Amino acid sequence: MMTASYIDELHESFHTDIVYRSEDIPLECTPRPSEMEETLHGVMKLNGLIIRSLEEIAGRGANAVTYRAGKKFGHEIAKYFQKRDDVEEALHELSDLLRGQYTFEVWKPEDKENFIIEEDGQTFIYLVFHDCIVRQTLRRNGQEQGGPLCQTLFGYVVGAIEEITGRRAKLEIVHTGPNACLKKLILK
Amino acid sequence: MDIRVDTDACVGCGLCVKDCPMDVYELRDGVSVPVKPKNCMGCLSCHEICPAQALEHRGIYPARRHYIDMRVCEMLNRVI
Ligand code: SF4
Ligand code: SF4
Repeated sequence: MMTASYIDELHESFHTDIVYRSEDIPLECTPRPSEMEETLHGVMKLNGLIIRSLEEIAGRGANAVTYRAGKKFGHEIAKYFQKRDDVEEALHELSDLLRGQYTFEVWKPEDKENFIIEEDGQTFIYLVFHDCIVRQTLRRNGQEQGGPLCQTLFGYVVGAIEEITGRRAKLEIVHTGPNACLKKLILK
Repeated sequence: MDIRVDTDACVGCGLCVKDCPMDVYELRDGVSVPVKPKNCMGCLSCHEICPAQALEHRGIYPARRHYIDMRVCEMLNRVI
């Protein structure tokens, strides 16, 4: 089981003294991307265009393609992880590995006692994704969140969890926002 | 999370109440009140939707935002 102190530490790392006001206009990106700004925008633009074209040609099939691509990636990366049964520990390891690209934490609403929630015959864990390269790409291109590009992330997490724990899983969107997204990792 | 609502700015439209996935807000006497701030996971959808820019979140983790076009932001800052 994941220890309480690890969870406290993880939550602490997402707590700041920053005051965020609606009217704030950002003056700098952190860390400064000036060195790689053009390349980064080019890559994001290209990814956005590929996804848009894929949607135009394959329709709803686009989700299946991107999900599968993400899943392959997840299996590939997690092949080198130590195999373990505990999903929470697997998530811990995965969040360390993905920090910066897809920074996430396990999360629960205040009325729930545990991070592993059993509700309506489902066993699941809420994940809050903070930093996400998919969200950045979509917002850079004015595309909606929740579409095929998000499916790559879904596939990635599911593939990695399956590889590490040997358990089948599914990731569902609960909410997408400009600063964080809430997902549900459903365990089978 | 410490969430503050500028009660002078809030126009009581209720958009934040409807949009928040964690039911953090309630409308009381025509203004939004964060009744369950501990349920906030920091998505900032409420900031995006509030027409009065009446909301403030303290203690939030700001996600990386490399997608912002700094030239546009610099121009905006000059104009505003
Ligand atoms: S940041 Fe998201 S979860 Fe928090 S109050 Fe706003 S809409 Fe609700
Ligand atoms: S969206 Fe803004 S103006 Fe509307 S009720 Fe909420 S805080 Fe008030």
